[in-house]
Amino acid sequence: MEDDRRETYNMEDKYLICEDSLEGIFTGIYEAYALREGHQHLHIQIGEEENLRLFAVYLHILPDPVKTDKVAQTLKRRLGEHVYHTLCRAAASCHLDKGEAVYRTVVDALTAGSGRRVMENLKNPYVARCFELARFTANEAHYETEFIRFQELAAKEPGENGVLFSRIGPKNNVVPFVMPHFADRLSIENFMVYDEHRKLFGVHPAKEEWYLVSAGEDFVLKEFALSEKEEGYQELFRAFHRAIGIKSRENKKLQRQMCAYRYQDYMTEFEQKR
Amino acid sequence: MELRIAPQMAVMDKLKILGEAAKYDVSCSSSGSSRKNDGQGIGNTVAAGLCHSFAADGRCISLLKILFTNECIYDCRYCVNRCSNDVPRASFTPDEVCELTMEFYRRNYIEGLFLSSGILYSPDYTMELLCETVHRLRTVHRFQGYIHVKAIPGADPLLIQRTGYLVDRMSVNLEMATAEGLRAIAPNKHRKNILKPMRQIQNGITENKNEITLYKHAPHFCEAGQSTQMVIGALPESDYQIMSVAENLYDKFSLKRVYYSAFVNVNEDRELPALAGGPPLLREHRLYQADWLLRFYGFKVDELLTEKRPNFNIAIDPKADWAVRHLECFPVEINRADYQMLLRIPGVGVKSAGRIVAARRFGNLTFEDLKKIGVVLKRALYFITCSGRMMYPTRMDENYIVQNLTYQNRMGKGEKLPFLSDGTSYRQMSLFDMDGFDDGRTAVS
Repeated sequence: MEDDRRETYNMEDKYLICEDSLEGIFTGIYEAYALREGHQHLHIQIGEEENLRLFAVYLHILPDPVKTDKVAQTLKRRLGEHVYHTLCRAAASCHLDKGEAVYRTVVDALTAGSGRRVMENLKNPYVARCFELARFTANEAHYETEFIRFQELAAKEPGENGVLFSRIGPKNNVVPFVMPHFADRLSIENFMVYDEHRKLFGVHPAKEEWYLVSAGEDFVLKEFALSEKEEGYQELFRAFHRAIGIKSRENKKLQRQMCAYRYQDYMTEFEQKR
Repeated sequence: MELRIAPQMAVMDKLKILGEAAKYDVSCSSSGSSRKNDGQGIGNTVAAGLCHSFAADGRCISLLKILFTNECIYDCRYCVNRCSNDVPRASFTPDEVCELTMEFYRRNYIEGLFLSSGILYSPDYTMELLCETVHRLRTVHRFQGYIHVKAIPGADPLLIQRTGYLVDRMSVNLEMATAEGLRAIAPNKHRKNILKPMRQIQNGITENKNEITLYKHAPHFCEAGQSTQMVIGALPESDYQIMSVAENLYDKFSLKRVYYSAFVNVNEDRELPALAGGPPLLREHRLYQADWLLRFYGFKVDELLTEKRPNFNIAIDPKADWAVRHLECFPVEINRADYQMLLRIPGVGVKSAGRIVAARRFGNLTFEDLKKIGVVLKRALYFITCSGRMMYPTRMDENYIVQNLTYQNRMGKGEKLPFLSDGTSYRQMSLFDMDGFDDGRTAVS
């Protein structure tokens, strides 16, 4: 009788509730492996469940930097940088099923044995989902590298170049993927990229390494002074943008397809139209 | 000689005039070269290129595309800047171009500079100005982003060579597919003069590649290759002629890109067609599709078109058109066909073909899997089997398949065209289009 009950208990699904971050998910994966119960009945869930399941156990997992690092190192070593980065992109997605997708993909790679080729195994629905999420993040990061517009803020000393500042509102957490591109391109500039949905700053001091700063829930962006020339260059670019279109080929639908309204809202050359 | 323009003209006015004057140049890509920043100046280049904005006509804006000057000694019938036109003229100074490029680039408005020019005094004089501008941008401003410069036909080869070492891409416009066409439409240009710098650039690139193999740090010569542009629909050339010329350019001149530009009669020239329905956008679209088939899908022009069938079917895309005329090759078994054959299936692109080859190592693929991989099943389903089965019972009959494919198009569910499927653009003709109102005369709207 006693044994039977233990059996049923083990058959129950266990949900590891993790924080919505790369750390959260990787710690969740660490704990899932640490339980040593096989992976069949384990699930990773991001954030609290609204409809609690009746026959399920919920475990709360707190993000832990040491465990995160262990998982990251193992993934890099055994699956290669390419797969590791794909998993990171999937973990930066705005969809909450990402925890489960990343977890199951790791299981497919490490335990079921598809290894470094795991991202090619698109027959596995979790791998396919992970692939899809990573692609969405990658695409959005790519669009942001194109559509980010910097404004020059007023310099402290006259004659100096001011800090370049950009405000974006992406769906996925793309700032960490956008920063390396600009850190290389604008290596001698001071610049900041601000994700207003996550209140997250990417900061790059000239000729130094870039880093992330989380501003906290209650942060409100203050008004800031622009440099003297800023307005002038914005006006010049708007004029150029108008001049370069061919009237007899006008096609607003195509324009919108190539550059969605949600990007246009943050772009210098579109601001006045909408 | 004296410049005919007021030198005190504001940069804003110059930018309006010279941006407007450059808009009929199609090339905008910033792809083909990959360079890291060296920590001394700003800029790098990305192999795939980046589009920073999209104009009202839906075309991408990647580079600051401007003419250095729209003064021109030539009188080409199709060109808005021809010397017989009465349009406002302007010229930049090298410093103005440098400053605009740097400040736009810092703000991430652009990926680099595209510099073309009307012919001021002589080809040599113009080429020297372009070279000087680019030189200043690279050395004084230490700009490391993308630069695309037009080589001026007839300019001294030494000038072209010197410029080539400073820029990522150079191009010479072929303008018309045939030599006779060019003679009729651009009396001052000669086919020979256009092909000569093109050959020079090609040889320069080949030699430079050998140099770089030997000496790792040798300077790069036109790292991103060269491109050209042809005007479509100004003269009665067939698609077959145009595509054959393009194929030749790819094979014999190792071009990176050939651009096609639907003709817009900006000058209302009597000798040129009026084109009541607007520029031939659908034809241009089909040519680009075929161009992709040549470059990435392993097709040859002779497979797509013949002397007897010299034009593309406007109703379906060139790949589907090829497929329905070669039904003996289909249906293709997804789990077994080789990569080259997968590429030839309508609805399967380069990416999905690669993914299919990788994914089928893990087991047989089903139609459900194909959908996730990114295959466009509504087009592919007539041409494929998964484990020996077709998706739906289909007749392998040319008319039946064409009817189904075009029916989807008519319902607006099929091929995604960047404009209405009858080939006209969305906008109706209005009174203002009639007398070239928007071309160079009214810059402010």
